[in-house]
Amino acid sequence: MEKYKTCFISCILWILLWHSLPVNSEPSAKDIIQAAIDYYRDESSFSVAEMTIHRPDWERTMKMQVWTQGIDKSLVRIIAPKKDKGNGNLVIGDDMWSFTPKINRVIKIPASMAHQGWMGSDFSNNDVAKADDLIEKFTHRILDTQHHDNKILYIIESIPHEDAPVVWGKEIVKVREDFLMIAQEFYDQDNQLVKTLSTSDIKMMSGKLTVATQRMQKVDKPNEWTEFHILEADYGVQIPDRYFTLSHLRNPRR
Amino acid sequence: MNTTFRFAWRNIWRHPRRTILTMIAIGFGCALLVFSIGFQLGQYDLMIANSVKIFEGLIQVQKKGYFEDSKMRSSIPDIQTLTERLRKQTGIMDISPRANGFALVSSETRTYGTMIIGVDPKYEDKVSIIPGLVKEGRYLAQEDANEVVIGKSLAKNMKLSIGDEITLMGNGRDGSIAATILPVVGIFESGSKDLDRNIIEMPLATFQDTFSMEGHGHSIVIYHKDAKLVNELQKTVLQLVEDQETLTALRWDQLQPGLKEAIELDYSSGWFTYIVLVVIIVFSIMNTFLMSVMERTREFGIMLALGYKALNIGKLVMLEACLLTIVAVFIGTLLGVAINYYFYVHGLTLSGMEEIAQMYNMPSTITPQISFESIVIGPLIIFFSTILSALYPALRIRLLQPIEAMRRV
Repeated sequence: MEKYKTCFISCILWILLWHSLPVNSEPSAKDIIQAAIDYYRDESSFSVAEMTIHRPDWERTMKMQVWTQGIDKSLVRIIAPKKDKGNGNLVIGDDMWSFTPKINRVIKIPASMAHQGWMGSDFSNNDVAKADDLIEKFTHRILDTQHHDNKILYIIESIPHEDAPVVWGKEIVKVREDFLMIAQEFYDQDNQLVKTLSTSDIKMMSGKLTVATQRMQKVDKPNEWTEFHILEADYGVQIPDRYFTLSHLRNPRR
Repeated sequence: MNTTFRFAWRNIWRHPRRTILTMIAIGFGCALLVFSIGFQLGQYDLMIANSVKIFEGLIQVQKKGYFEDSKMRSSIPDIQTLTERLRKQTGIMDISPRANGFALVSSETRTYGTMIIGVDPKYEDKVSIIPGLVKEGRYLAQEDANEVVIGKSLAKNMKLSIGDEITLMGNGRDGSIAATILPVVGIFESGSKDLDRNIIEMPLATFQDTFSMEGHGHSIVIYHKDAKLVNELQKTVLQLVEDQETLTALRWDQLQPGLKEAIELDYSSGWFTYIVLVVIIVFSIMNTFLMSVMERTREFGIMLALGYKALNIGKLVMLEACLLTIVAVFIGTLLGVAINYYFYVHGLTLSGMEEIAQMYNMPSTITPQISFESIVIGPLIIFFSTILSALYPALRIRLLQPIEAMRRV
């Protein structure tokens, strides 16, 4: 009897194990998106980046430090130019706070500002704060597979759930088989392309392939764009929990 | 011609009572049209004057393209100097510079995204009535005072009262982060929901300092109380800013296309009523004319038999109609103008409007517009449609056969 029991359990275990293994060589669209975001965010990261806002008659570059933890916590602090030094931005989940040393105040960015540009750029506050929307509020489908640098590139169509509070009609996300997100296209409710996030400059940073340049471009304004360059990045670093608190945003202790 | 004229005049007065009644119908219609068109146009003048006066001004000088896409970068350099120059060259003192921005504004408890307007406290009261509508506290003191005034609804939404501080955060003209903390010194109530809910005003110099404007601004607001001069004024201003190719001058109707559309819509729906009125008048007149022709069938038969041409009889009848209408329209128009003139001098006060008007710093009386347009349009329409309605009976005469006509009872 005992023998049968063990056999039965091992059978079940075997079945479970077998099912959890990838049977199919083609992963599901949702898994790809999830993996891409996990890859991009990692467990934690610290990076130094530059953001360039380009307009027909002027251009401006800000340099910043970025700390991230998991998928829902990030802290940005501007280190140059001098005029903006010390400004900070904290995201926890869907909430975003901004700190300005000029007035020594922390301001919570209200939901009504979600579609305003983040720090005057073409990235909206939502683009910055709600990276995980794509996982939770969209249904994904692989439209096509192409090739990018000799690697498979999955073209994924992501359509928001019917009741999801998302402004987009759909997104087209292009993810490479090594889970690098290569491009993201945002369509409005009428299926018109509104803006694209394109990438270039794939580099090795602390032992991990990283997309170093991202460019957000609105379709109706071809002369205006914002580029985000990652200068250096470190993954899986230990970041104290206190970094992602309002008091640290206001008063960074070294 | 002279005989025909006398003939016609006498014919009109063959039935004095009927003629007078017809004249009263036409005259009354005319007076009514003159009165209502005058009042309607007068009301539009008032609407335009009021909305021009609240905030937008009659004309605004802006950078080309700023109105369509209000970017902080599309600004006018050295705006104070240009404003001063415009004051000198146009001779109009009611000109004031502004700068507009958008910022996150926080009180202790709430945060809203709102418009921030930088104004010149010395001149703002000449181009906008908002400075006069501060219901609590006071308006901005001087050009570089570190303070703001705020719309009543916004103050309520943000739970702000006089003396409280607000925190502003936005982007400066150079893309840098603009932020400041300023106390609220006044709360205004303009009656316009848009303004009361969305606007914070601060002195221009403070605005320029906060938003790194370096002397730039976004619009030069020009006020003039006679909105009819807008086209000439626009031309003058355009010539004056010609040396700065990138600047343009926009009229009130370009700045507030919604108001213009609303007026046009209201005007055309008003015309629907007028047309119904005119049609009623026309039919009653047509009846009179038709009767006067029908009852004279025998008379016309004899005239035809005597060799009078049908065309001439038609002319006679038309002349009768013309004479009658001209006299009636003339009297009616005089009456209408007299009524309008009375109200033009004394004003028409609608009961209950006084309080509301006073609250929002506006005149409480409507005065009709007395202009060539308002006086002439109505009577002209009545005149021509009446003549048109006389055409049918006059043309019928051509169908008459002399013998048959003479035998008619």
